[in-house]
Amino acid sequence: MNQSSKFDVWWKLLWMFLKVNLLSPSGPASIGLLYKEAVGTIMSEERFVEAVGFSNVLPGSEALKLAMFVGYAAGGIPGVLTALLGAMLPPTVMMLVVAFVLQQFQHEEWLNGFVAGMSPAVAALMVTVAWELSRATKAKKITRRFLLIAALSAIALAFDVPSPLVLLGAGVLGVILYR
Amino acid sequence: MNLYLDLFLTFLKVNLLSTSGPASVGLLYNEAVGKFVTEGQFVQAVGFSSVLPGSDALQMAMYVGYAAGGIPGGLVALLGSILPPTILILGVVMVLHRIRREAWVQSFVEGLTPAISMVILFAAWKIFQKGGETGWQGWLIGAASLVALFLNAPARIVVLVAAVLGVFWFS
Repeated sequence: MNQSSKFDVWWKLLWMFLKVNLLSPSGPASIGLLYKEAVGTIMSEERFVEAVGFSNVLPGSEALKLAMFVGYAAGGIPGVLTALLGAMLPPTVMMLVVAFVLQQFQHEEWLNGFVAGMSPAVAALMVTVAWELSRATKAKKITRRFLLIAALSAIALAFDVPSPLVLLGAGVLGVILYR
Repeated sequence: MNLYLDLFLTFLKVNLLSTSGPASVGLLYNEAVGKFVTEGQFVQAVGFSSVLPGSDALQMAMYVGYAAGGIPGGLVALLGSILPPTILILGVVMVLHRIRREAWVQSFVEGLTPAISMVILFAAWKIFQKGGETGWQGWLIGAASLVALFLNAPARIVVLVAAVLGVFWFS
């Protein structure tokens, strides 16, 4: 591959990830859009499915993991870094602006109302996230093992066990129960 | 402990123990509220991360980091969020291409999922109680949002409508 076509690939990657991350509301929601952009042009369907599989298993932001897999398939390590940059810039720059603006109004009465109204909706949003996660397991339904770990976690949390410990314990229990 | 180091380690931990941005909300709540941000600020972080396009994990890191330590705080939190997936992915694509076939990794994640759901539900309940008003308007907004979200209404619209209602009812 000569020098100029390499730059073409990097530029294409950067632009693709800027676009995908500007148009999708969250990491998991970007999978569909990314599929349309990347499969066929940059990587095969099989490799894309593999990338999504890895993203589910490894820790961290889903959008970043997918970006890195697609970037690697297209342009090796420089591709990884370009895709990462494209995926990071839109959300972080926008959030910085929002955080800056909100900081100016932190003691205004209307912002208190704004937050008080947003709280029940955010709580509801979190309930649906918990629900979606429960359904997205390998078994595709809620099994007895799932309920057991969920119940044990709930008890531990009710007794104020630190949540990182609860998560680690649940993971270890998973290794034992799901063998 | 130094604020920046503390922010970095917190986001490192949160992003090592969750598999996506939305899944990390419960853990982040427990680690950040009262320490880096107030209850209300956390609601803003989650609310706006679902309103703005792009990765929720990075947006929450940016907001919490910025609120706690200005722009350097935001960058440090961002770095902590980015490092775990980056290093692991580079490791996977370059060295351990077989990790997905290692059964225990899959089992660990299968076990992690129900616990993540529970951590999120507990945090959701605390946010509902402390962040909002628990009068009938609060319950109404919560119930209506839940129904709307289960009917696949876009999260950003639901959150914004609830916030605007809050401005009229609660201020």
